[in-house]
Amino acid sequence: MRVEIDNAVFGYARRPVVRVNNLALAPGRGLGVFGPNGSGKTTLLRGIMGLLEPMEGMVQRDGEVLPAYLPQHREMELHWPMSGFDAASLWASAKEQFGRLGHGVRAAVREKMSLLDVADLENRSFPRLSGGQQQRLLLAGLLATRPNLIVLDEPTDGLDTRSTRTLLSHLRDVRDKGRASIVLVSHDIDDLVELCHEVALLHPAESPDEPATVEIVPIEQLPSHILRAGAPT
Amino acid sequence: MSNWQTYRELIDVNAPALIAAAGLAIGASLLGVFVVLRREGLLALALPQVVAVGAAVGLRMDWNFLPPAIAAAVIALLVTAWSRARRTSHLLLPALYIGGLSVSVLLIANSAAHLHEVQHLLAGEDVFVSWQQAYLAAPTLIAAGVTAAVLWRRWLLLAQSPTAARVAGLRPARWDALFLVLLAAAVVVGTSVSGILMVLACLFLPAATVLPWAKRVPGALITSVVASLIFLAGGFIMSIEMDWPLSQSVGGVGFAALIVSHVAAAIFA
Repeated sequence: MRVEIDNAVFGYARRPVVRVNNLALAPGRGLGVFGPNGSGKTTLLRGIMGLLEPMEGMVQRDGEVLPAYLPQHREMELHWPMSGFDAASLWASAKEQFGRLGHGVRAAVREKMSLLDVADLENRSFPRLSGGQQQRLLLAGLLATRPNLIVLDEPTDGLDTRSTRTLLSHLRDVRDKGRASIVLVSHDIDDLVELCHEVALLHPAESPDEPATVEIVPIEQLPSHILRAGAPT
Repeated sequence: MSNWQTYRELIDVNAPALIAAAGLAIGASLLGVFVVLRREGLLALALPQVVAVGAAVGLRMDWNFLPPAIAAAVIALLVTAWSRARRTSHLLLPALYIGGLSVSVLLIANSAAHLHEVQHLLAGEDVFVSWQQAYLAAPTLIAAGVTAAVLWRRWLLLAQSPTAARVAGLRPARWDALFLVLLAAAVVVGTSVSGILMVLACLFLPAATVLPWAKRVPGALITSVVASLIFLAGGFIMSIEMDWPLSQSVGGVGFAALIVSHVAAAIFA
């Protein structure tokens, strides 16, 4: 297992936000994260990625885990002037000393840009591209570092149907051929069905002092009211 | 119109101040690109006013300018970091600006000679610069700006996704601290040789002039430096021809260029 979480509580200061029992991420598997706003999805992601230590319980990561996080293109600061390549190489630059990109890293980013069919956007102004093009550029840069645990926070939010299908298809390839584990937060059940084997359903607690609980459900056993209605807000 | 001989004589007389100002124009215009993009404008406005408080303490106590100015800048940065952690910096920074502006004058309100010195520090008029100061200030200012420029991909990543940076093993708070230290160093050293007005003019005007046209950060950095040096040269010429103070002339030239740039960008870009 890449990541195993057992009886863990994640939160901030002394406030527990989310309790997780028996969550396991294996190579080549996809885990969806689904729940209403404010239920602790981001906190759960931070726990999975190792940005938050559990307040109680246990988290185990295998020594080989290479996590990567794809930010929402909508949350990016688009007043920064940057080309398609600058945006694609953001993640790779994080791994390099002082952010400087060597020839090998540049070549790896360009290779993935070609693979995701965005090589022609290298010199285009990133803020002026469509949401789908922006998201594919970011994904290309992320894949260039060969991560084996990819965390995506609503990657299809704001994308049209065609862009969404293209992005999910690339992610499925990475999951199946690259044996990467994928964690996908989405309000769109179709995205989860496309990419995930299990879904972590977050159930908010009735008292604000209590943490939300996480129920791990195989994708084919999702409750019908969720399949019909999507995420409550 | 002054002749070339007049310019040569004035350049000779003002050489240390001009060299220090050129160092400030280069260093501050590089940092200024990130100040504008990172939306650190309030901090950049408040910091020189706090430095002026340190300078006023130094004048009052007959100390050297730099140690109390550096101490004031360090305290301001620590308080800023604390308030950012508590998400109250939007309340603190305007207060630091007006507090610094007031307290720096109040500290020496009953000392006419020192009052003039602080007013000169604020306005950047008649600031005397020795060769020794110029040789120290210019490389320091350029080094601060070049360091920030070399790290441009780091600032870009931290602005776009601090979470991704953390997942990659970076510590955004430490990088933010480095940026604030570089900015504070430029503000303290720049204020000591050219005055607050010149520091602010070089921080904001070149970056704000070129950014509407910028396609990438490196291009913005290079054009910001070029614009800053042109504003300095233009301001120097205007100050001689019109008998205006240098800092205000640089600010005036820069502001006029900024207006032209933004109007042109609205039409053509």
